[in-house]
Amino acid sequence: MSDYLLETRNLELAYGPFKAVAGVDLKVRAGTIHTVIGPNGAGKTSLFHCLTGERQATAGKILFNDRDIIRKPSHGRVALGMARSFQLTSLFQNLSVRENLRLAAQGRDGLGALNFWRSVEHKRSHWNTADQVLERLKLTARAETLAGELSHGQQRVLEVGMSICAKPTLLMLDEPTSGMGIDDIPVMTDLISDLGRDHTVLLIEHNMSIVMSISQRITVMSHGQILVEGTPEQVRNDERVRTAYLGEAA
Amino acid sequence: MSNKTALPMGLGRTPALLLLVLASLVALPLILPSATLATEILIFALAALACNLLLGYTGLLSFGQGIFFGVGAYGAALLMIHLKWGMLGALFGAAVFGAFLALLVGALAIRRTGIYFVMLTLAFSQMAYFLAYTLSGWTGGDNGLLDVPRPNIEIAGHVLVDLADPRHFYVFVAVLFLLIFAGALRVIRSPFGSTLLAIRENETRAAAIGYDTRHFKILVFMLSGAITGIAGALYAMLLHFAPLSNIDLMMSENILIMTIVGGTGSLFGSLLGAGAIVVLGDVLSELWPRWLMLLGAILILVVVFMRGGLWGGLAALGKRLLASRTADDKAPAKTKETL
Repeated sequence: MSDYLLETRNLELAYGPFKAVAGVDLKVRAGTIHTVIGPNGAGKTSLFHCLTGERQATAGKILFNDRDIIRKPSHGRVALGMARSFQLTSLFQNLSVRENLRLAAQGRDGLGALNFWRSVEHKRSHWNTADQVLERLKLTARAETLAGELSHGQQRVLEVGMSICAKPTLLMLDEPTSGMGIDDIPVMTDLISDLGRDHTVLLIEHNMSIVMSISQRITVMSHGQILVEGTPEQVRNDERVRTAYLGEAA
Repeated sequence: MSNKTALPMGLGRTPALLLLVLASLVALPLILPSATLATEILIFALAALACNLLLGYTGLLSFGQGIFFGVGAYGAALLMIHLKWGMLGALFGAAVFGAFLALLVGALAIRRTGIYFVMLTLAFSQMAYFLAYTLSGWTGGDNGLLDVPRPNIEIAGHVLVDLADPRHFYVFVAVLFLLIFAGALRVIRSPFGSTLLAIRENETRAAAIGYDTRHFKILVFMLSGAITGIAGALYAMLLHFAPLSNIDLMMSENILIMTIVGGTGSLFGSLLGAGAIVVLGDVLSELWPRWLMLLGAILILVVVFMRGGLWGGLAALGKRLLASRTADDKAPAKTKETL
């Protein structure tokens, strides 16, 4: 058993001759908040798609708990303990906030959810999980509101909250602050560092203040490859990163 | 949608909804001129309810419903004619045929989503029609399958219920309808049913939280096929005849129109939709042979102005009445205050 919860070996995602991910060896240590950053087009989202199963990697390996999951479809990765959030909010808009979370908790049952002769009330544990997550997201007061009627900031919080309902070991969050107002960002930062206490978090993020304040480990990508990996301190002081990314932002 | 609008008078709850269905089943033959017309409504309400499970609860627009209706009609008729199966056996057979055909169509069609899914069901529908037309030795082709029996319910040769009487047959179909309605209600409030809603709302997210959506879609397709098959069998028994039009694309269209007019996402809406279209057809076809044009106009009106269908319209009306009544109750108090 290695120290790494998630490990990719020479991972590659090619679109014809173009390699969006060109041989990435990413190592995510259990119990850390590990962030992937990089300028636009660096291959962060493509890497994320390979990890979630949304895209089939064209070469390499993805080891999760030392098991190669590269051929697992995205729904199959949930039962192993992987969960994700979306960059563009992707909720069940016309269902209540509580039902959104309950469905996410039920998802871990896999085909057990094909049960059509029992009432949903029967599985108390899913409701309890939904209620606990509501508390944690501070959305209890909005439990019966339709997800589509929440404010944008609250929808982003729910988006992240959906991913913890299946009690995953690895949380993969795709730009959780995307589109959020400046006032809402501290809420999200607090939430992610709170979740980092119970889960290993793999974060893709643009917002540098979040990245530097909550990550234990940072991987910088550029042109589909890993440029630098290290602690926030090391990354901040790295000359190559400055030119590739920070220089551009400054 | 059912979850979107809180319904007045607790009609969202199971016992109240079942009471409403029961009351409608008792009222139908009393207000309609014939038991046969009432039976026809229930048969199409079953087909619309099955279509609603796909369209309203899973977001699948299927033009294949006529296949399952037709296969149920032919299947039950052939079992009764050639193998001398009884009423319940024939209905069971029709359900199995319907589910099996739905498995075949569904397994291929759900590999695609959106417009491609719709086109695939349409293509299957066309194939089924011409297959039925070609296999005239079994189906009677253009002439339809004649002399379909309507067996009595018997135990060991002893007649329990004589179904030759149209009123008896109505009661039989009504009991069946109530059972299937209650069953469908249970299904949509199960983990499976709640997952269907999730798929309707956002299939990508449903997959991301762990659901293999194909299994859910195939299962609901089979369920829909089985219920539609039963409806087809009952229709053949009602007419004593299984016409080729049962398996026509037009049948799929009719079932879809009833579902949409009644209201997608509400099972009771399917009964309303079937009732409205069957009665309208019955009345208008005597007045004007081109009545189908009016049907088109009605569909346009519902889609443009009443997105929730008849059920949504009635629910909104009921809410407004309740609101105005409470407003009336408060109004005198207010004037007192101002005095």
